[in-house]
Amino acid sequence: MNGVPIALYLGLGLFMFTIGVVGVVIRRNPIVIFMCIELMLNAVNLTFVTFARYQMSPVPAGGMARESSMMAGQMMVTFVMAVAAAEVAVGLGIMMAIFRLRQNIDVDELNILRG
Amino acid sequence: MGLLSLIIWLPLLGSALLALLPASVERYAKPVAVAIAAVTLAVSLSLLGQFQSGTYDFQLKENIAWAPAAGIHYALGLDGISLWLVILTSALSLVAMAASWYVDTRVKAMFSLLLLLEAAMLGAFLSLDLILFFTFFELTLIPMWLMIMGWGNAGRQQAANKFITYTFVGSIFMLVGIVALALRYRAVAGSLSFSIVDIQDTVANGQLWTGAIVAEGAIFWTFALAFLIKSPAFPFHTWMADTYAASPTAGPILSSVMVKMGTYGFLRFALPLFPDAVKSNAPILMTLATIGIVYGAVVAAVQPDMRRLLAFSSLSHMGFVLLGIFSLTDAGLVGGSFQQISHGVTAGGLFLLVGWLIQRRQTGELSEYGGLKLQMPHLATLFFLLLLGSVGLPSTNGFVGEFLSLLGAFQAGYWGMNGLSVGFAVVAGFGVVLAAVYLLILFQKIFYGKVENPENRRLLDLKPWEIAVASVLVVITFGSGLAPGVIIRSMEPSLQGAKLMATNPAGNRPSWKSGSPSVVDKISEPMAALLPVSNPTGGNQ
Amino acid sequence: MESNGFNLIWLVLALPLLGFLLQALAGQRIEKAVGRRTLGALAVAPIALSFLIAVFLTQRLAGLAPGDRNVVVWGGEWIRISQLNIPFEAIVDPLSMTMVLIITGIGALIHLYATGYMSEEREYARFFTYLNLFIASMLILVLGNNLVLLFIGWEGVGLCSYLLIGFWYTDLANAKAANKAFIVNRIGDWSLTLGLFLIVAALATVFPKVSGDRILSFDTMLPALQSILKDNPALATGIALLLFGGAAGKSAQFPLYVWLPDAMAGPTPVSALIHAATMVTSGVVLLNRMHVVFECSPVASAIVCAIGAFTALFAALIAFGQTDIKKVLAYSTVSQLGFMFIGCGAGAYWTGMFHVTTHAFFKALLFLGAGAVIHAMAHEQDMRRYGKLAKYLPITFGTMLVGALAISGFPLMSGFFSKEAILGAALAGTHAQVDGFAIGEWAGLVGLVVAGLTALYMTRLTFLTFLGNEERWRTAPAEIHHESHAVAFGVSELLDLSDPHGFYKTMDSQAEEDHAHHGLTSDHTPHEVGPSMWIPLVVLAALSVFGGFLLQSNGMFEHWLQPMPLPVLGEVRTEPTTINLTMYSLIAAFAGMILGAIFYYRGLPANQGLDETKWTPLRLWQRNQFGFDQGVTTLAVEGGGDLGRSLWHWIDNGVIDGFVRGIALVATVSGGVLRQIQTGSVRLYALVMLVGVVGFLSYFLVASHLAIAVTGGR
Repeated sequence: MNGVPIALYLGLGLFMFTIGVVGVVIRRNPIVIFMCIELMLNAVNLTFVTFARYQMSPVPAGGMARESSMMAGQMMVTFVMAVAAAEVAVGLGIMMAIFRLRQNIDVDELNILRG
Repeated sequence: MGLLSLIIWLPLLGSALLALLPASVERYAKPVAVAIAAVTLAVSLSLLGQFQSGTYDFQLKENIAWAPAAGIHYALGLDGISLWLVILTSALSLVAMAASWYVDTRVKAMFSLLLLLEAAMLGAFLSLDLILFFTFFELTLIPMWLMIMGWGNAGRQQAANKFITYTFVGSIFMLVGIVALALRYRAVAGSLSFSIVDIQDTVANGQLWTGAIVAEGAIFWTFALAFLIKSPAFPFHTWMADTYAASPTAGPILSSVMVKMGTYGFLRFALPLFPDAVKSNAPILMTLATIGIVYGAVVAAVQPDMRRLLAFSSLSHMGFVLLGIFSLTDAGLVGGSFQQISHGVTAGGLFLLVGWLIQRRQTGELSEYGGLKLQMPHLATLFFLLLLGSVGLPSTNGFVGEFLSLLGAFQAGYWGMNGLSVGFAVVAGFGVVLAAVYLLILFQKIFYGKVENPENRRLLDLKPWEIAVASVLVVITFGSGLAPGVIIRSMEPSLQGAKLMATNPAGNRPSWKSGSPSVVDKISEPMAALLPVSNPTGGNQ
Repeated sequence: MESNGFNLIWLVLALPLLGFLLQALAGQRIEKAVGRRTLGALAVAPIALSFLIAVFLTQRLAGLAPGDRNVVVWGGEWIRISQLNIPFEAIVDPLSMTMVLIITGIGALIHLYATGYMSEEREYARFFTYLNLFIASMLILVLGNNLVLLFIGWEGVGLCSYLLIGFWYTDLANAKAANKAFIVNRIGDWSLTLGLFLIVAALATVFPKVSGDRILSFDTMLPALQSILKDNPALATGIALLLFGGAAGKSAQFPLYVWLPDAMAGPTPVSALIHAATMVTSGVVLLNRMHVVFECSPVASAIVCAIGAFTALFAALIAFGQTDIKKVLAYSTVSQLGFMFIGCGAGAYWTGMFHVTTHAFFKALLFLGAGAVIHAMAHEQDMRRYGKLAKYLPITFGTMLVGALAISGFPLMSGFFSKEAILGAALAGTHAQVDGFAIGEWAGLVGLVVAGLTALYMTRLTFLTFLGNEERWRTAPAEIHHESHAVAFGVSELLDLSDPHGFYKTMDSQAEEDHAHHGLTSDHTPHEVGPSMWIPLVVLAALSVFGGFLLQSNGMFEHWLQPMPLPVLGEVRTEPTTINLTMYSLIAAFAGMILGAIFYYRGLPANQGLDETKWTPLRLWQRNQFGFDQGVTTLAVEGGGDLGRSLWHWIDNGVIDGFVRGIALVATVSGGVLRQIQTGSVRLYALVMLVGVVGFLSYFLVASHLAIAVTGGR
């Protein structure tokens, strides 16, 4: 792992994030939109882990101890995953409810938020 | 847990308990709520035994750090000003429950809200921390709003929104003022605190406001606005009539306690914390009070609905409280504070009777009534006796409050504060005449004449328990009018403290925290007069 | 001075109060259990007992040296704050005891009379509840040793007056008359309160600011006021006029007299007791009590004199236009009260009280007599339907004739002495004057004229009622108005409503009580009233004849009530030197009586008959009180109502709520604009968010690069 330059990890993260953003904006199926959001979250996760890993080598001057600094990034990943799971559970529930109500879950036809 | 916490938490937990009761035992909700309120009243009355009159200091103090970093404390304390308001609140909560006895829908929720409202009001009267006070002050709005929305009459939605908008706007400004005050305190004292005991100490020695007249005035007005809307004073009163007309019957009864939070706020916070602003703005506030007295009375006389009529009469009566307080004289302050209590009793009682009547007839329109005295003699008698308190007949409690308030206003002028206030006393005195006008019109329209409306012919007189409840209020009305000393004696030292905090020059003001040796002499003389002395030389020459 | 011997005074006060409580709480039960007569006896007994105790106390007081007849009896604390101590305490002095004797003595007689008069009344207990409460309040008024305590009684009697005027409340007109009485009285009370405040403020200049002293008690206050006001006539005038405003309200002086004629809506014993003998004289009592203030202010005294004289004349003129027997007596009362104020204004305060006393005798007599007539004539009060009643009601006629002679100033009757004393004081006195212009003398001259007018209208009343040539009710019976209960009560629709709380009657069991409404018919035969009613008449008639003479002999009343010299004025003469008063007043009285006999010996003149189109404009104008009452009432009721409504609509709903609605409108309009952006398309929202995020990020990126570039990376 040490051999791989950080730019590759970050580049992959950026790539995944972009796919996610574009997916959210252009797709009409909420399931796919959810998957895209997951993709974005995972891109962020990857970034977190990357920075955490790369901060291990040089100890920041006067900063946190090595282990805790590594832990900080990885802890965030755990948080994000937990929240994402919760979000999917709630989101799918909402979608089921909407589907029951309208027999249709195309987001373009869901404009009840219109002012 | 101290006694004061008990008084607040008993109804609060009771409210939660009721809310959590399963629907299957809903029929027990009323007795349980009444029992809790009765115990609260008993505990409040036990304060009388503990209370030491003769000092303006807080008693039975409790202080727990709540958010120490922010200087916020769960600080409670009792003095002569709050003592009787606490008792009034817990008593009128029971009265409100009596008025709600005929509620059939969502009983549990109704009585839970009544207890919540009681707890919030008691909390507001006992808080010594601005944030804690603000919390309780705002907490009263929620149950009131829910009660109007859930059990109100026609037009409840609009009335509820008007009520919440008006009162909320005022208190938002007060929140800004509270924060500004605390920041100012940090600037002079070095640490953050919302405790009025801390803040007032720096006011007393002149640290806080020296060279900050404008800031003092501005922050005073943020408080004053909130309190004026709450009291309500002219021209911030328009929420009141709509709210009273649309509320369920418990609403106006508890609201007649809630409005005291406004005038109490002036006594507890404005006078000690903003002395110079109080002095310079007193004529303005007395003007508003005087206008309110006469305006409320004139408008009350033409109201077609009995609840609206009583709402405007409240505007008029609360004007006397404000007038008395801002006369900044002993007589005025005692009169104003006494009037707070007596208005609570008489207005609460009248709203109770009116509520029972409206529950029977489902309308508050005066034109629907007439001639009920023949049919409901007990209701008529009790109504009339409470009405006399409201009219301010000598020997009732209303007289003592109004008389001393007016005397205070008169003295404020004569002793050279400004000649204007003699005018206030003269004009406000005419409000007493007008009180007779609108209240006698009210009585005449409901009770005199013949029964013209067939709907009214079916009405039975009050039931024995209803007579008993109302009779208690009648007894209090006349009892505290004939022996006001019981109340005045415990009230006066605190009021004198507040007065000296407001009127003495900086450095010479009493302080709750450090006392003030320089004013002990001035305090102790009236104290001595308060001691139960024997018959002054047989009253002979 | 030991007060021990006078502690009985509390019993005088407590007995009527106990009677009140008994009647209020148990009256109906007693009536059901043992009957009306016992209940009536229980109402009369406390008052009579009070009277006996009062006689005893008065004798004891008279036994003291004149300088010591000023006993304060301590009762207890009432209002006590640092600057002010207002206790319950009673004052026993000649003034208060005179009034106590009148109140309890006349009161007991009228209670006795009322047991007969009200015997057919449905709510017997309620009537005596109010009546006993009135006696108690009136006693507080005269016995209270400070102005605030006096004020309890002052408003208490107003309250009882309100309750008794509105006793027959099912008739809304009575209820409105009651409201009017209370409200007009309250205007006077407003003035009295302000006077009290001014006194407190004035006293504060001599008493230390912080003081537990009883500064408002009369024994402390009056000497202090005297020393303050002697050198400050402006302040004295202010206080005096404010106090007089209160007195004018209660004692029905112009312009606050308007409530008294309407107050005749109450039962006749009430008119006799409250609206003739006792309550309406409390203004005179107040002036006597506070005479130090009036002594210090010639201007205020002149105003008192002038208003008294004007009221006396004004009301006497109105009396000629009245056909209702009670209304005539009401205006006569207003007029006589004017006399009392002339005396007080002239500085001879005891003459006012003297007239209060004699007036209590003969006016109570006249009212009770009128009540007997009304009772005998099936509640018809219009004198135009009376005539030749002397034949049927001999005792009533005899006693009322005595009363009429007394009020007319017939020699050696009680009214003659008191009126003479008042007019003498006015004509001789120099106190009531403004800039050397002696108002008092003019008031005295007006009083002489009014004395003649009084004799005239009383003769008119006597002839129209008891004498004349025909029994007019036989030719012009009263219209019989059936009280129609024509409102159709749809019982069926009322019964099927659900009633979970037991609010309503299960069936329409309320049977409207049919009042035995026996109108005055042409075959009606009047009967003399029973002994419970004629005994008081005879007693009062005796007092009317001999009372004045007895009290006047050796200047007894004067010496008893007000030993000369007065503290500020010194001696006040009551015998004018310039004219022969006795001669002139005899001329006035006899002229009035003879003219009256000439005008009315044949009965009712056509120009005063039932057909009011034949009336002269002057008499119509007099009947309408010269338009004053109507004008003022319209102004107050209509004007006040319009003011209230316009304030409500314009200020409350227009300006204040309009302002608030304006703010709400701003929010609504701006919201309406902004809502266009909310399309509801989730993807659009996401896109906008993306653009926003990208925009912000770019901005910060660029900005930080720029910052680095500007600062050179430092």
